[in-house]
Amino acid sequence: MKNGWIEFLFGKVTVKVSGRGIERFLNILTRNGLLIWNVRRHGTETITFKMRLKDALIIRKFARKSGCRIAFLQRSGVPFLVKRLLKNSGFLIGIGVFFMLFLFLSNVIWGIEIKGAKPATEHKIRQELDKMGVKIGKLQFFVDNVEAIQRKLTNNIGALTWVGVELKGTTYHFQVVEKNEPKKPETLSPRNLIAKKKAIIVGMYVENGQQVVNIHDHVEPGQLLVSGEIGMEGKTQQVAAKGEIWGETWYKSHVELPLNSSFKVFNGNIEEKHYLKIGNLEIPFWGFGKSKFKEYETETNEHQIQFLKWSLPISIENKTIREREEITRNYDELQAEQIALEMAKKQIKKHLDEEAKIKDEKILQRTIKDGKVILDIHFKIYENIAIGKPISKEIHE
Amino acid sequence: MAKKWGQQIRNWMAKKMDLPQDVAMDLPRITMIGQIHIYIENHKGLLTFTDKELRLLLKQGQLLIKGKSFVIKTILPEEILLEGKIDQVVYINENQGGAK
Repeated sequence: MKNGWIEFLFGKVTVKVSGRGIERFLNILTRNGLLIWNVRRHGTETITFKMRLKDALIIRKFARKSGCRIAFLQRSGVPFLVKRLLKNSGFLIGIGVFFMLFLFLSNVIWGIEIKGAKPATEHKIRQELDKMGVKIGKLQFFVDNVEAIQRKLTNNIGALTWVGVELKGTTYHFQVVEKNEPKKPETLSPRNLIAKKKAIIVGMYVENGQQVVNIHDHVEPGQLLVSGEIGMEGKTQQVAAKGEIWGETWYKSHVELPLNSSFKVFNGNIEEKHYLKIGNLEIPFWGFGKSKFKEYETETNEHQIQFLKWSLPISIENKTIREREEITRNYDELQAEQIALEMAKKQIKKHLDEEAKIKDEKILQRTIKDGKVILDIHFKIYENIAIGKPISKEIHE
Repeated sequence: MAKKWGQQIRNWMAKKMDLPQDVAMDLPRITMIGQIHIYIENHKGLLTFTDKELRLLLKQGQLLIKGKSFVIKTILPEEILLEGKIDQVVYINENQGGAK
């Protein structure tokens, strides 16, 4: 017996032998290649020893001839352990169920924490999250990943400038930055209002200050519109001029629009595939085979499986494959012109304040060249042209 | 394994040390570790085993080991490893009337 482990693996049995001629019996056993160890004598007619399970099964054959009685006392080793384990398989099942439950619960969303938001915004965020399916008690696999949640939140809630989404274990943490932070009170230091653009004044509304221009006046950029100095000459007083000066301004815009253009769009056909990913190995368990789409884009969404606070190197991966299609858009000249005009308007509006209005537009030039419509458009716009300019001390003195 | 190794050693010793070829005579080789272990190769079978006495059959005569609390750790057809407290190791020659 060089190594007890082999015997342990295959099982060993303690055998009690009683009767006469035990020594002879032992000799027979050893000569027949049965391994025996730990032979002990108990009293005059009894010995015990250990032997392999394999040998114990054939010992009776020898015992019959020798006239010794044998009994098996103790069984140990893997075969017996397995037997017992099977008998008490409830334990095994229990352990399995326990781990499965743990694994399951480790992947459930247990908390949503929102920081830095006003109650109203927080409520909105929660509603939005609900819509997305981010709820307490949901499985993390069926929820978008962190980047997607962040993108959707910022897109769908106007009041948010930025939201940081973090998944820590089973809790989602949202760090919110809101757009309308408390407004700083307007500086009320003495100031003038000056024109920011070349314009013709079409309307005035002065709240505070001395107006120095009139309707229909033509003003240049930087020209004084409303003075912050009021009162009689000599007894002047400096105030912060406040008001709106509406001026007519002009913009030129140049747009080009191809008549025929082709671009790629998703046509709505999607295929979904699910994989179990262990390390770098992907095992598909739903959605087999190659994609039948000719042109497609793949979006991958990976969820790592959590166990308590650790991430296992196992993840569930969903792949969404969207079919792409190329379509060609054709406009006739009239349509193209209309659309180009709309484009130009949109472009102009980007540069203007929200209050500004497009009063009039005039197409100065229209050419069709190389399959493109080229428009030069002149816009007439009414907008607030007044901006504040602090009255500097030097001027005062 | 041990037996082979032992035989090799014996062969080598016999050659190098110019000993007579007693290896071929099937003599037992006995190794003792203090009082606690005794390892006998080349025995011819077990005659008696109690916790105070072990009697082995040899090709010529018998070997009697006396002591206390004997346990046979391993027994193979030609080898035996005995554990316990060994007091005496006695050769019994057949012509002197050993039991057989």
